[in-house]
Amino acid sequence: MLRFRLTPCLLVRNKGLVKTVGFKDEKYVGDPLNAVKIFNEKEVDELIILDIDATVNKKKPDLLAIQHWAAECRMPLCYGGGVSSVEQIQEIISLGVEKVAINSSALSSPELINQAAQLVGSQSVVVVIDYKKRRFSKKYDVYTQNGMQKHKYDLLSWALEVEKQGAGEIVLNSIDSDGTMGGYDMEAIRLIKKNVSIPVTALGGAGSLNDVKELVNEFGTIGAAAGSMFVFKGKYKAVLINYPSQIEKNNIK
Amino acid sequence: MIGILDYGLGNVGAFYNIYKRLNIPVCIVTDAEKIDSIDRLILPGVGSFDWAMNRLSSSGMLEELNKAVLDREIPILGVCVGMQMMAQGSDEGHLKGLGWIDASVRHFSELTNEKIDLPHMGWNDVQVYKGHPLFKNLEKDAIFYFLHSYYFQEGSDSQIMSRTDYGEVFTSSIFKGNIFGVQFHPEKSHHWGVQLLKNFSELPC
Amino acid sequence: MLSQVNSHKICEVCVMDTTDINIVFDKDGVCDHCNDFYSNVKPNWHTDSKGKKELDKIISKIKLDGKGRDFDCIIGMSGGADSSYLLHKVVVDFGLRPLVFHVDGGWNSEIAVNNINAMIDKLGLDLYTEVINWEEMKDFQLSYFKAGVANIDVPQDHAFVATLYNFANKNKIKYIMNGGNISTECVRNPLEWLYYGTDMSQINDIRKKFGTIKLKTYPFSSVFRHKIYLKYIRQVNVIKPLDFMPYIKSEAMIFLEKEYGWQPYPQKHFESRFTKFYEGYWLPKKFGYDTRKVQYSSLILTEQLKRDDALEMLKKPAIPDEEAIHDFEYIAKKLGISTDELQMYFDQENKTYRDYKNQLSIFNAGAKILKMFGMERSIKR
Repeated sequence: MLRFRLTPCLLVRNKGLVKTVGFKDEKYVGDPLNAVKIFNEKEVDELIILDIDATVNKKKPDLLAIQHWAAECRMPLCYGGGVSSVEQIQEIISLGVEKVAINSSALSSPELINQAAQLVGSQSVVVVIDYKKRRFSKKYDVYTQNGMQKHKYDLLSWALEVEKQGAGEIVLNSIDSDGTMGGYDMEAIRLIKKNVSIPVTALGGAGSLNDVKELVNEFGTIGAAAGSMFVFKGKYKAVLINYPSQIEKNNIK
Repeated sequence: MIGILDYGLGNVGAFYNIYKRLNIPVCIVTDAEKIDSIDRLILPGVGSFDWAMNRLSSSGMLEELNKAVLDREIPILGVCVGMQMMAQGSDEGHLKGLGWIDASVRHFSELTNEKIDLPHMGWNDVQVYKGHPLFKNLEKDAIFYFLHSYYFQEGSDSQIMSRTDYGEVFTSSIFKGNIFGVQFHPEKSHHWGVQLLKNFSELPC
Repeated sequence: MLSQVNSHKICEVCVMDTTDINIVFDKDGVCDHCNDFYSNVKPNWHTDSKGKKELDKIISKIKLDGKGRDFDCIIGMSGGADSSYLLHKVVVDFGLRPLVFHVDGGWNSEIAVNNINAMIDKLGLDLYTEVINWEEMKDFQLSYFKAGVANIDVPQDHAFVATLYNFANKNKIKYIMNGGNISTECVRNPLEWLYYGTDMSQINDIRKKFGTIKLKTYPFSSVFRHKIYLKYIRQVNVIKPLDFMPYIKSEAMIFLEKEYGWQPYPQKHFESRFTKFYEGYWLPKKFGYDTRKVQYSSLILTEQLKRDDALEMLKKPAIPDEEAIHDFEYIAKKLGISTDELQMYFDQENKTYRDYKNQLSIFNAGAKILKMFGMERSIKR
């Protein structure tokens, strides 16, 4: 039986790991390489690393850093941040990364998804969608530029387009829930899961394994990604990497 | 000496690093001449079937590879698309496969009517048949990482090593003499994958 | 590079030897570490009812002082055996309410993180952490490699000490619970091997010569601040509870494993990947200084290890050679340099702390004064 995926998601800014709340209130968390190494030793299911600087500051992905991270992973690694061309995607994959995530570049030109899928295979093309709930509405809006700019697409329409273009996975990133550790945005996930047939990974809001349990109990095989939960500990938000053991994970279902 | 075939696809470095950490002699094979000095091979693979076959054909190593596998009969482990390439062809593409095994590669929609997300992405278990030495010392509940939308449909000349359940049961690893194929990624399956790769290095020639 | 010592001599009682260049043997071939232990340390070391009485007095005082406040003491946790065992004692046996603190220098091993997690969870404590800016730590550590001195772990050590004192100060916590103990540390690392990490004059000199960026957020402190100012003026005390009770390391570790699922490390200080590399490879291979000799000698003096067993273990390297190669590569990678560059630092001439500015005279004067008032025990030379 296919298991649910429990995936730590690390954010990198200025070569350092950071954690945000609502995409703001950044806290410095430390060196990415050691965090990757520890997660690998903890045998996590997968790892996502997103460079939240790159696109906004028009920087290219840090290929050397990516190569170093990939070399420490005996599990699949997904990298995103500042990726805007098929050549870059191919280059990053050749560094030993299993999946490449794109966000705003896909919104600017959805054909990028298709071209990338043709070249490296859809299984390696992930589209991250940052979204917020629209006030007084059941709809959700897609955002770019680290949550600062509202896009014309609504979440569902964009997710459908992403699937149509041939992406292998969608990461639903709830800006409202980011860093709150108050639970996943179940409603939005429900909406998307009902309408697409490619793997979906939920990100934003997970505060404890109970939140993961809620997600998995409803959706079965789904990706449960989290940042704060695996990096912070306790009410003072001490920085201490943690991840459940195989036994604890088996108990979640 | 184990050779990791580098024809431009697949996580060559991951295999290399694993064998290095195990202190098992390993090298990366980038040209045909090197194949002669190798006594077993890993054929990695990721991406689409045609793209992989194309890269392999234009690598200049195809002829030596065929000789090593079919004439010298050195053990070879095909991983993911590397395994699929060993078949005669794939529904995913138009090019012919290596044809080492009488098999075809089909889309998951042919296997089951169940609504399953594709690609098959994540950790899944394997039901190992008859305790094959490739799966030696692996716990009964060993899991491996899968990432594919097409599955291997074997014919009569190969044997199933393991099956996996996704919508329907499909073949997750096969063997035929010196030829082995795994649909999952042992290079990305933590200690389970490391054990399997170690076992491959210890299989009798 | 290793220098050939012509007359290599080992102490008859412990395993300290002439790689400690200032070692002195008496007529029976017993070294000054041992003699100092017998004369100065052991007579004043009480782990029986006398020790318990003294400890109880201290605990009562701590509880009284801490009434009405969130915390009555502070403990720094590395995930290591001593601090973990101490934490258990402080919370479960003494009934104190410690602020538990961890300094992340970027080198945590998975075992350390796991152990800290396990203890925090089971004891129901809230953890504070201080994450040192990695770009700054990296530059700081590299400057020490470039300086060629033996103690390249100063950046990690100093951060721990400084942060702990800063934190105690900020939260007005007067009692620092320290896991340091005579039982396993009565023999101290010679200064030639591990020169003071709190000598700001040395730190500044090395930074000036070899640092490339400003260390804006790195926590700096000084020996003056620690020992004199904080202790007597702000009234901060360092308590070492493990010295007041029988502390058998092996038993403590078994207990921690059973009670908390605590995992042991291959060697002391291996909680940090860097310290593991430093003590297990760099120090012995480049300088010929093996800190295991210090650790084993302490255990021999406190009758937890037989000299023959120690000598046997010392025959093998602390880190197996194949592992050392991987560690070497990882260290270089993490520091953002090539293995060639790291090798270059390894191959360059060995320097000592005397090659750079230092406040050794102040340390010595201070130690004498503290010793006069009976405040410091064993020699540090």
